[in-house]
Amino acid sequence: MWEPLVFDRWIPKILSWYVCTPKVQSHMLVISWHMQASTMCEYTKEEFCNGLRDLRVDTLEVFREKLTSIREELKDEEKYRKIYNFAFGWATEKGEKAMQLETAFDMWQLLFAERKYPLLDHWIQFLQVTTFASFGKFGQFSIGSYCVVMPLPLEQTQHNRPVSKDVWFQLLEFFKQVQKGLAGYDAEGAWPCLIDEFVEYLEENGIHPSEYAT
Amino acid sequence: MSNQKKRNFQIEAFKHRVVVDPKYAEKTWKILEHAIHEIYNHNASGLSFEELYRNAYNMVLHKFGEKLYSGLVTTMTAHLKEISKSIEAAQGDLFLEELNRKWNDHNKALQMIRDILMYMDRTYIPNSRKTPVYELGLNLWRDNIIHSGKIQSRLLSTLLELVHRERTGEVIDRGLMRNTIKMLMDLGSSVYQDDFEKPFLEAEIRLNEEIERIAHYLDVKSEAKITNVVEKEMIANHMTRLVHMENSGLVNMLLDDKYEDLGRMYNLFKRVPNGLSMIRDVMTSHLRETGKQLVTDAESSKDPVEFVQRLLDERDKYDKIICQAFSNAKTFQNALNSSFEYFINLNSRSPEFISLFVDDKLRKGLKGVSEEDVEIILDKVMMLFRYLQEKDVFEKYYKQHLAKRLLSGKTVSDDAERSLIVKLKTECGYQFTSKLEGMFTDMKTSQDTMQGFYANHLELAEGPTLVVQVLTTGSWPTQPTITCNLPTEMAALCEKFRSHYLGTHTGRRLSWQTNMGTADIKATFGKGQKHELNVSTYQMCVLMLFNNADRLSYKEIEQATEIPASDLKRCLQSMACVKGKNVLRKEPMSKDIGTDDAFFVNDKFTSKFYKVKIGTVVAQKESEPEKLETRQRVEEDRKPQIEAAIVRIMKSRRVLDHNNVIAEVTKQLQSRFLANPTEIKKRIESLIEREFLERDSDDRKLYRYLA
Repeated sequence: MWEPLVFDRWIPKILSWYVCTPKVQSHMLVISWHMQASTMCEYTKEEFCNGLRDLRVDTLEVFREKLTSIREELKDEEKYRKIYNFAFGWATEKGEKAMQLETAFDMWQLLFAERKYPLLDHWIQFLQVTTFASFGKFGQFSIGSYCVVMPLPLEQTQHNRPVSKDVWFQLLEFFKQVQKGLAGYDAEGAWPCLIDEFVEYLEENGIHPSEYAT
Repeated sequence: MSNQKKRNFQIEAFKHRVVVDPKYAEKTWKILEHAIHEIYNHNASGLSFEELYRNAYNMVLHKFGEKLYSGLVTTMTAHLKEISKSIEAAQGDLFLEELNRKWNDHNKALQMIRDILMYMDRTYIPNSRKTPVYELGLNLWRDNIIHSGKIQSRLLSTLLELVHRERTGEVIDRGLMRNTIKMLMDLGSSVYQDDFEKPFLEAEIRLNEEIERIAHYLDVKSEAKITNVVEKEMIANHMTRLVHMENSGLVNMLLDDKYEDLGRMYNLFKRVPNGLSMIRDVMTSHLRETGKQLVTDAESSKDPVEFVQRLLDERDKYDKIICQAFSNAKTFQNALNSSFEYFINLNSRSPEFISLFVDDKLRKGLKGVSEEDVEIILDKVMMLFRYLQEKDVFEKYYKQHLAKRLLSGKTVSDDAERSLIVKLKTECGYQFTSKLEGMFTDMKTSQDTMQGFYANHLELAEGPTLVVQVLTTGSWPTQPTITCNLPTEMAALCEKFRSHYLGTHTGRRLSWQTNMGTADIKATFGKGQKHELNVSTYQMCVLMLFNNADRLSYKEIEQATEIPASDLKRCLQSMACVKGKNVLRKEPMSKDIGTDDAFFVNDKFTSKFYKVKIGTVVAQKESEPEKLETRQRVEEDRKPQIEAAIVRIMKSRRVLDHNNVIAEVTKQLQSRFLANPTEIKKRIESLIEREFLERDSDDRKLYRYLA
């Protein structure tokens, strides 16, 4: 039904809206999700056409209206989860399996902006602190029943590495679970190691559940 | 001796007639009868023993024995009848006491009477076949007291009642009970049997019947309650006190190897529930505590051989205790094993030390020891090995130590070496030992290779002998090193070998591990002293330089040999700074090697030995940085093993939850090491990232295998 012509004509318009609308980023993300775009700021014709069909958009006017209302979709829990998970592949550099830390920070700020997960700031701070401290830091890891203190080579510190898909996916689950405090966290609960370490960091720094309960 | 005939003398009785008062017998008996009354009435103090004895004597002498005897029976019977009445009159619990008191009175009286009538006892009674006085007294007591209608049944029921009361936990007067039973025994075993034992045993039977009845129609619990009453009273209530008694409790028995006392305690406590587990618990915690002290004691860690020997001694001690005192019970053996497993792993160096212990034994300790004894020692070592959680660490050290033994030709017994490898293989599978076996194969192959080399190069019979051990990369704990510059004659020889070897084995590469070799060189010093020096390859390279120079600076040596600095310093130090081994002399004199030092041959070198060994390669306890390095290598080696285990498990299970993955991986790897859960988790994450696994989209704790 959709002609390649439409695509060529619409794209410049849409791009101009993206740039000039203040909250454009979250619109862009949701629209991209509908289009199942594989890369940020890129649509193939096929993705674009399927997306518009999915959104039931047939004129530019409708599209523009959609842009103002589409943010509402983020309030739907199930849709939000899908969009959050979609965002990983979308924002990750082509050909890479993990997301660069800086990109991840931006994406989290964007995605969690209206969610008010109070742990977000601590999470980002945790990743930043450990990233810079990992040089020359003496790591402690225990093997069996004793403990060895030894300098860890840089590549052994998880924190300096890009965010893996698993960590990305699990972080949302984790934030939901600990919304009412750390009781929702189970040390045996198959959380990625980075999240375990984050909890340790919270405890070490005396950040208590009550302080970040909303 | 004289032959004088013996004369028999005879002493005639003095014959005179004594006129006897016809009332004599009656009068005398009255005196005696009175005395008996007084005795029974506790008034004996006023009596004259001598007078009474004489009277009784005279009566028997004058043939009034019969009168005396029957008089005694009558009098005593009369008294006993009185006593009987007073006993019957005793109320309730006082009954037994009264009986007992009267019995004591009667006994005392009887003894006095017997003494007075001793002459009758000796002459009249045997002649007329009557019952002796004391026995008579007992019989009369039996007939008049014990067998009196009112007493007999009461006595029996009282005794049985008391036994029962004690069984049900009441405290009874055991002294009284014992005296009464003793009385019955004194009266003759038939009395005891008839009057007490039989009915008592019947009571036992009844009790058993009771128990049987309970078993048939009452709750089983009641039976246990009843039968346990006694055991509880006698054992259970005192158990804790016995076990924890200061200076003589269980711990002291264990410390002092009191097999008999421990055995007694074991047999007693076996009867009550939790009795054995109490002994076991105390033993376990004591063993864990002492074991912990043993392995964490800094002093004992200084000497690895001593450390392991102490562990073995401790194990032998408890083996013996369990065998001799605790009837070799399986549960106790298990407790012993789990305790050892617990504390042996508290010291991370245990695997290294056990390997060093074996090294010591296989180098020298087993010299002159019979084959069976060697087996016993090796089996003991294996037992400790089984307790280790980090068997891979042991393997790592074992490989290092074995390599040194093999390469330096220091192993005492090839059979013992192989025997231990077989044991390790049985315990851990062929993978564990394949590399170790590869080392043995290399040694054997190298021998053949060297023979082939010299058979092909007969011209080399003169000149230095080269022994090459060709080590397969991967089987040996080798590190890539820089080959140092060999003396020209050696270098030429090595080159010949290389072309020989590569000529027969195409496609292989040889690199010289000059850091691992040894050399025997003949040296002649200043005044013509000749010695054979056993040195390392590095040391040889240095010494050979002095054939062409009298003085060499450190830098010259370094340049000529290209031995890595740290190795060169160590090698020079062992030749120039150790007394008795100082074949070199250095300027300035000091303990450490400086880069500006100069070296000379020590012309004044002396040694009482012709052969001088310099810088032996003995396996030693690792230094801290070495230990950390080994640890890091172990950790790196574990990663692929953990991943392989996860993949194996997930491949067969397809879908499995997190905790089960951790549990199964731990189980699979347990024969080699104790996998750290965090490390397993990291490996899982890595596998997810590499898309071998994924998390289930609904249940985040569930992993799926991606084929």
